[in-house]
Formats: sequence, structure tokens, C-alpha cells
Amino acid sequence: MKAEYANVFIRSAVHVFKKELNINMSRQSLVKKNAPIPGLPVCIILGITGHVRGQVVYSLDKSFAQDITHAMLPNKLPHELKKYINSAVGEIGNMITGQASIELAGQDKIINLTPPAVFTGDQMVVDFLEMPTVSLRLLSEMGMLEINIAIMEEVL
Amino acid sequence: MIRGLIVDDAAIMRLRLREILEPRYEIVGEAGDGNEAIEMYDRYKPDFITLDISMPNTNGMEALEILMQRTPPPRIIIVSAVGQQRLVIKALQGGAKDFVIKPFESPRVLKAVERVMSNGTNPG
Repeated sequence: MKAEYANVFIRSAVHVFKKELNINMSRQSLVKKNAPIPGLPVCIILGITGHVRGQVVYSLDKSFAQDITHAMLPNKLPHELKKYINSAVGEIGNMITGQASIELAGQDKIINLTPPAVFTGDQMVVDFLEMPTVSLRLLSEMGMLEINIAIMEEVL
Repeated sequence: MIRGLIVDDAAIMRLRLREILEPRYEIVGEAGDGNEAIEMYDRYKPDFITLDISMPNTNGMEALEILMQRTPPPRIIIVSAVGQQRLVIKALQGGAKDFVIKPFESPRVLKAVERVMSNGTNPG
């Protein structure tokens, strides 16, 4: 996978966290893996087709997921937030990938996204694509976001 | 009172849009996919719809095409994270009145509804 795709996702995540949550994110690390297996317990999976195809898998800690939900719904009480956690993190994954799709479309790289699927902790039984993956970690004061990008350019 | 329908597969976005719109507009319902949106439009005939694109089952672009064949056609504002220029153009050519890209700020959504509704009530 070309490095330019990783940079697009970094810019998109930084933009979405700042605009939606007023959280500053900065890049912490980048490693290569053989599959987009998440390293943290809450995971959001989006499929990508088009100019590139594959999966993007976001993961984060439960406490960060709760804090994100609270930041999106500041007027709700803690016990009311619980039912919105999956929806909140799924939507953040959707916004980051959507923002990346806008930037890629500007380079004539058109991609389509599937709606996000959210999985949590021990119940996670998911088949991840075996595909060269770039795994990024972004850090904020509230927590860490891991982005696993397993995409390859479609051969026509 | 002007009546609206909110369509988004994410419960948190439906709630946020309701909180933004409800003081000024009556929200007649929330739909989680395109099929529900069509059913609810036929049942409630709202004055406007906020419509997400990336949804399971029938997505927003498919729902837009079906809804625009209704009489009267609804006033539709797309609210989506997938704001690629070609999709924006396709949605507007398909009959949507505005396109709000997520993440959004409340005034952008209110302005879109105000503008769409200031062009008069539903034709027909």
C-alpha cells in the first residue's frame, strides 16, 4: 500500500476529531502487519471498493469510546450514554473514512464505503482479510485511536 | 408547524439532528435505512427529510430516487460523511435540495432547512 493513503487517513482522523469533538490528535506510530487485526477492544470495520479495495479497521479502548460518546452528546447523563456508544464510534469511523474518500476523490481515486460494523471485546469473532496492512496509532489527551488500513489498488 | 423526517442509520446522529431541529420543527419520525424512510414518508408526508447516504439495505441514493417519484416529491437535504463532489452533484441532479457534509455544525443544518423551506411549502 502506498504511503500516501496512510497520510490521507491521518489527515482525515485529525480533521474529524478536531471538528466533531474538539480533540487534538497526533500521530504516534506506524507499523506494518499482515492483516488489519485490531489491537484495542472496541473495533469499527468499514469495507472499501472502487479505485482501492479492502478494509479499514479502527480500534480504541472502551473508556475512550465512552468519552467520545459524551463529547458528541454533552447534555446526556452517563447512564443515558451507554446505548449510544456503538453508534458514536461507528459514526466517527464513518466520518473519517468519508473524509478520506473526499480527499481521494480529489485525486480522481473514487471509492465507495460500506456502513460501519462495530464489535466489542470478547464477543469479537471476525474474519479479517489477510492483506498487507499499515497500522497507525494516533494519540490524544483522552485516548488512543488505532487505524488499520488494508487496501490495495484495483487492477483493471 | 413545519414537519421533518430524520433518516440516518446511526442512532446518535438521529438524536443529534433531532436536538438541533426540534425546537423549530416538528420531527414526525426517525428512519434507520432507506426502506423505513420511504414507508415513513408515505405515512407522514413530512415537509422535509434529512437523508444519510451510507446505510444498510436501501441506501440514501436509492431512497432519493424512489422518493423523488412521489407526488408531491419531498424536500430532501442529504446529510452524509461521503461528500465526494460526484456524489454531491448526483444527489442535487437527482432532486436533493442541499448537501450537508458530516461532521457538521448545528447552524449549517438549520440554515439548510430554513433555505429549503423558505422556497414555499411542498408543491402539489
